[in-house]
Amino acid sequence: MNNNDRVIVITGTRKGIGRFLAEYYLAQNMIVCGCSRSACDLDNPKYIHYELDVADEKSVEKMVFDIFKRFRKIDFLVNNAGIASMNHSLLTPLSVVEKVFKTNVMGTFVFCREVAKVMTKNKFGRIVNFATIATPIKLEGESIYAASKAAVENMTKLLAKEYADFGITINAVGPTPVYTDLIKNVPKNKIDSLLQTQAIHRYGTFEDIVNVIDFFLEDKSNFITGQIIYLGGVSS
Amino acid sequence: MELEEIQRIIKTVVKDYLEAQDNYLDITSETVLFGDNTVLDSIGLVNIVIDLESTFLDKGYEISLTSDVAMSRRQSPFRNISTLADFIYEQLNEQ
Repeated sequence: MNNNDRVIVITGTRKGIGRFLAEYYLAQNMIVCGCSRSACDLDNPKYIHYELDVADEKSVEKMVFDIFKRFRKIDFLVNNAGIASMNHSLLTPLSVVEKVFKTNVMGTFVFCREVAKVMTKNKFGRIVNFATIATPIKLEGESIYAASKAAVENMTKLLAKEYADFGITINAVGPTPVYTDLIKNVPKNKIDSLLQTQAIHRYGTFEDIVNVIDFFLEDKSNFITGQIIYLGGVSS
Repeated sequence: MELEEIQRIIKTVVKDYLEAQDNYLDITSETVLFGDNTVLDSIGLVNIVIDLESTFLDKGYEISLTSDVAMSRRQSPFRNISTLADFIYEQLNEQ
C-alpha cells in the first residue's frame, strides 16, 4: 500500500497505544491527525495535533472540518481514545458512568459520524474502533467500562451496515491487558487470573494491536466489516 | 449570505446528486426532500446533507445539519428546499 498521501485520524495520541499508533503510521509516511485533551509533544512535519475532548461535538466537527479543508479526504480513522473505570459497581458514582460513556461511546460515535461524512466523498474509508476482552469475559470490577465497550461493539456492527453503501468498512479490535498506565495499579493476582481466561496467557503488546489494525486498514480488507477481533484467543 | 443564494446552492447540490442517478427532475423551492413524495431515498438525503456541509465549508461557512436544533424541530427543516434554506440562513446568522 502506498501510504504517502494517506490521511489517518487517531484519537487519544498523547500517550499509550494512541501515541504508539501515531508514531507507527508516521513511520509509514502517512499524514497523522491526532487529538487529546492536552498538548502533545509529538513533533513531526506530517503530524497535526488538535487539543479537544472527543465527547465535545462542536470541537470534533471543527477538527474534521479543518482536516477536510487541508487534505480534502480522510482515509482511516482509529478511535483509540478511551477511559477505563475499575471499581466495584456498588462503589461507582453516576458521574463516573457518565464520564466513561461520554468518552468511550459518544466520542467514538461523533468521530465516526463526522469522519464518515468526509469518507463518503471518496467512497472509501476504514474505521477501527476499540473494544476490550472485558466485555466478552464479563470481567468483575469493570461493569461500566465493559458496558461502554459493549455499546461500541454493537455500534460497530450496526454502522457497518449503514456505512457499507458509502465504501466504508468499520471494525473493532478487542485488546487484552497491555502493560500501560491504565492497569499499572491493578493488583498482580487480579491481572494473573485475567490472563488465565485467555487462550494465550500473556499480556498483549502494542504490536499485537497494530497487527489487527493493519489488517483492517488493508486495501484488500474491503470485504471485512462489522467484525470484532479479540486478542489472546478470547471469544465472544 | 442571502437566502436566494442559499436556495440556489441547495438546488444545485440536489440537482447534481439526482443527475448522477440519471434523474433529470426540475428542482424548485418546493421540491420535497424528506417524508412523503420525496425525490430522494434515505441514502440520497444523507448524501445531500454531507454535500451541503462541505459546499458551504468551501465557501467559508461552517454549518452542521445534524445539530440538535435541526433534529428536534416539530417541522423538519429537511421538508423541502425552501425550509432547508431558511434553516441554513438562520444558522449562518447565528455565527
